[in-house]
Amino acid sequence: MKKLSMVLIAIVLISAISVAGLFATGTEEVQGTEEKVLTIGVDQEAIGLDPHIVTAFSSHRRIDLMYNRLVRLDENLVVVPDLAESWEIPDNLTYIFHLREGVKFHNGRELVADDVKYSLERVMDPKTASPGKSYLALVESVEVVDQYTVKLTLSAPLASLLDSLTSNNLSIVPKEAVEEYGNLQKVAVGTGPFMLDEWVADNSMTLVKNPDYFIEGEPKVDKVIFRVIPEAASLLAGVKSGDLDIATISDGATIRQAKNTSGVVVKSKPGINVRTFGFNTTREPFTDERVRRALALAIDRDEIVMMAEFGMGTPTGPIPVAATDWALPLDELPVNEVNYEKAKALLAEAGYPDGFSFDIVCSATYEGGLAVAQVIQSELKNIGVTANLVVVEWGVYIDRWVKRDFDSMVEIRGGSGEPDRFLYRTLHSTGGVNNFMFADAKTDELLDLGRSQTVPAERKKTYNEVQKVLSEKAPVIFLYSPSESHVLSERVTGFKQVGNGSLYYVTQTDVQ
Amino acid sequence: MNTMTRLVKNRIALAGLIIISLYVVIIVVSFFWLPFDPMEMNPELMLQKPSLSSGHIFGTDEFGRDILSRVMKGSAVSLMISILATLLGATFGILMGIWAGFLGGRWDNVIMRIADILFSFPSLLLAIFIMAILGENNANIIIAIGIVYIPQFARISRGAIIALKSNEFVRAARSNGAGSSYILFNHLLPNSIAPIIVQISLSLSVAILLESALSFLGLGIQPPEPSWGNMLSSARKVMMLAPWTAIYPGLAIVTLVLGFNLLGDGLRDILDPRLRNVR
Amino acid sequence: MLRFIVRRLLTLIPVLLGVSLIVFFLVRLIPGTALEMYMGTQVEATPEMMEELEKLFGEDKPVPVLYLEWMQDILKGDFGYSLRTGRPVLPDILSRLPLSLELTLFSLILALLIGIPLGIASSLRQNTFGDFLMRILGLLGLSLPQFWLAALMVMAFSGFNGWIPMGNYVGFLEAPLRNIKMLFFPSLAIGIGFAAVVMRYTRTSMLEVFQMDYIRTAKAKGLKRKSVIYTHALKNGILPVITVTGFNAGYLLSGAIVIEEVFALPGMGRLSLYAIYQRDYPIIQAVVMIVATIFVLVNLVTDIVYALADPRIRLSD
Repeated sequence: MKKLSMVLIAIVLISAISVAGLFATGTEEVQGTEEKVLTIGVDQEAIGLDPHIVTAFSSHRRIDLMYNRLVRLDENLVVVPDLAESWEIPDNLTYIFHLREGVKFHNGRELVADDVKYSLERVMDPKTASPGKSYLALVESVEVVDQYTVKLTLSAPLASLLDSLTSNNLSIVPKEAVEEYGNLQKVAVGTGPFMLDEWVADNSMTLVKNPDYFIEGEPKVDKVIFRVIPEAASLLAGVKSGDLDIATISDGATIRQAKNTSGVVVKSKPGINVRTFGFNTTREPFTDERVRRALALAIDRDEIVMMAEFGMGTPTGPIPVAATDWALPLDELPVNEVNYEKAKALLAEAGYPDGFSFDIVCSATYEGGLAVAQVIQSELKNIGVTANLVVVEWGVYIDRWVKRDFDSMVEIRGGSGEPDRFLYRTLHSTGGVNNFMFADAKTDELLDLGRSQTVPAERKKTYNEVQKVLSEKAPVIFLYSPSESHVLSERVTGFKQVGNGSLYYVTQTDVQ
Repeated sequence: MNTMTRLVKNRIALAGLIIISLYVVIIVVSFFWLPFDPMEMNPELMLQKPSLSSGHIFGTDEFGRDILSRVMKGSAVSLMISILATLLGATFGILMGIWAGFLGGRWDNVIMRIADILFSFPSLLLAIFIMAILGENNANIIIAIGIVYIPQFARISRGAIIALKSNEFVRAARSNGAGSSYILFNHLLPNSIAPIIVQISLSLSVAILLESALSFLGLGIQPPEPSWGNMLSSARKVMMLAPWTAIYPGLAIVTLVLGFNLLGDGLRDILDPRLRNVR
Repeated sequence: MLRFIVRRLLTLIPVLLGVSLIVFFLVRLIPGTALEMYMGTQVEATPEMMEELEKLFGEDKPVPVLYLEWMQDILKGDFGYSLRTGRPVLPDILSRLPLSLELTLFSLILALLIGIPLGIASSLRQNTFGDFLMRILGLLGLSLPQFWLAALMVMAFSGFNGWIPMGNYVGFLEAPLRNIKMLFFPSLAIGIGFAAVVMRYTRTSMLEVFQMDYIRTAKAKGLKRKSVIYTHALKNGILPVITVTGFNAGYLLSGAIVIEEVFALPGMGRLSLYAIYQRDYPIIQAVVMIVATIFVLVNLVTDIVYALADPRIRLSD
């Protein structure tokens, strides 16, 4: 018995000592000597890297750093030069871009006008099945004027074209790389500030500095490492422990906690996306705009932001608040208050004096808005309307969305700083993602008008009108814009947020 | 000594019984009275610390709902799912096992291969599959967990039957001219019941863990209906800010599961004749 | 012996065939397709675009035809390509296997280190207060939901810098220290429950062995208690523990889905969970097939070891 106990004690002691020793060493960094490494924690792995094919947000965030577009958005969501040094718009059907000279692809070849033509035509080719195809639906031709000049001709005016061209899906790629690899899902041959070095699926992606990048002095760091960490709390812990320098975190509770955490810096601003609560306008009782308006009157946006996002969001109308040039303040919209009396009266008028019951499709993922749906459910009780939550797995959620099989749905919609780009596809009766099947003559007329106008003041008037109409007809209730948040370690300088999640400004970011 | 007396005399089993009875009392109470409305949201009371003075002795969750009330309400759901899933799995599993063990030969082979197939599927993965196909609601959770249980019960009951079939009293009954179904129900089943009872009590505990794991992954009981698993699932986001949102539902799971495990372990002692007289 | 092994191996064929059938048709019964997941909700997809993609994904044929093609490929060792990333499936899975193996191994070691000594100690003091306490502790360990334990660990220790390193899994050979640090708490979260199982088996089996005639004889012959424990009881009592360890190793290998999720470890469990979410059929199919194969093989090996170690058990199935 004694011997046994001795052995046991020895085992316990040895393990205890080795475990303690393990932790006592603290963070041992496998760091190079002079090299500046920036480590970015993200919650999702990239799904392919071909700029023309990818749909996933996570892929776009990698493409930000490896490719360039003709134009890009700056930190105020204003269109600024990227590969195109300047452009002219002689009439509203013609766009002429003058390219930067001496820009080199990662394979060493200089970028020329032919590459722009090739890239845009690859996107327009139905065989590519590119999600960017719809952005170029009105582009009739792409012509090479000279080595550094490209001309786009439209079949109809499209005021949002420039904004669309900032999309990563319209990045410029070299033809020979596509021909060599079939597609660019696993390689990156761009003109961007960083080049793909190593990609270990679901774990990490290492990018190295492009020494020939066309902006002098950028990028500032030698290496960028993306690490995939799905849990928001773990991302925060990573920044705190020094494993990560920047983490992209969308979860409000974690951001709130990060603000109370010493040693980390929280950057937050209203993002461009919009949380929506939309109706299937072909199903009873949502065919009646009075019913939809009544529901809108029962919804308290501030309460939703508070409870579902821990305050990390900004209430918004049909145009996301981040689009400061276009968005009307909420109090200038016709339906802008919580008013149960008015709501009940509208319901009675529509033939539902005792309320009714319907389903809200949502999902437990962040995009699926389960928390938002729960708050809405609770708020609608105040006007006697019973909302049943249909909480489905994410795949089923998408299936329902595609098949338009829902009474109502909580979603997150990718917004835009350009009203035409966001609202036309979402609410025009022919819009590609008008899953509400909303068909309203007045709305269609205004949206058609808006995309053809080129004088900003006139456009502004049109979209003010659109916002009022949408607020009143409420095919979808625009709730809030979630904040775009990044948690940084204190050694990070020069990082700027764009508002649409882009990481372009990593090129200007440095580490101490 | 009969089983019942032994049960009460076995301190481990007794402890289990007491815990389970306590939960039954809580459930009965929860039908008539709860400290607060478990569904009522209250923005002013988001993530309140547990405190006696406010009356929220387990604190509140991210919607300002009372956690104690939700834990109480959730206990009925958890217990119901665990009992029904075990019942489902046991019924089908035992029928399959008895059938296989009693008939033997080809039938035995076919049935046990089916059980093997189900068995070699990772159990949580199988449950996730079934939930994804059937859709998330309470009945489907019961079905998913029940299916996971079938092969376990089939194996145990088949084993018990085969061991007993070669026993002398069966041969005696046969030579006395008793029919198959008579033998099955009057001799075999009562004598193979011990391992099955133990398995049932263990299954009850595992069902609670499986249900909460499914809910934790967002595939179980759906909000706003509280279940211990989905409470933990939503607590995952806020637990750094408000640890109590994760601690109390977890403790509820641990205690009830412990109750079933204690009972099962005690039963094993009592029913396993090889251990009964060990001193 | 050889005949026994061959016969057992033959029975694996219908089982694995059944698993393959079930997984192949079951995944396609789940609402939603890989294609829909790929497109998400932000893209304006035209029907012609969807058709083009379907061809690209190779999902444009009837399911039975797809199944036969898949079976043919598998027999050639080709598990196809992920519908989501386009990468070949097998290397992706094999790159997760080391982590899952390590996690399994570490948790087994922890479980045995905790479980066996406690089980022996408990059996030696049968029906004393100490035994009672240890059994209750054991049952408590069995009652802890893994994911809750994991969450509590993250809550308690992530405040200490570097205690739970996050992200960027490194192999044991690459950086042993960081590797062990990453896997210590996850293994503990899994191991505690399993330690309880080991403890119970050790205790029961020791108690049974103590009843055996030869132990009584040994005692009667005046052998000291501890030498009885070592030379006789432990050797025989450990057998059922081996069985249960082997059996559970098969289970653990399938990946601790929830633990990997909480600790952000890129193992088989998380791979299969995300594959289900994304309807990435080739990955789900391959994971299930590989796990099922390992599972049945581990069971077979356990049976053989058991049979070899205990001549009283006749080889039958």
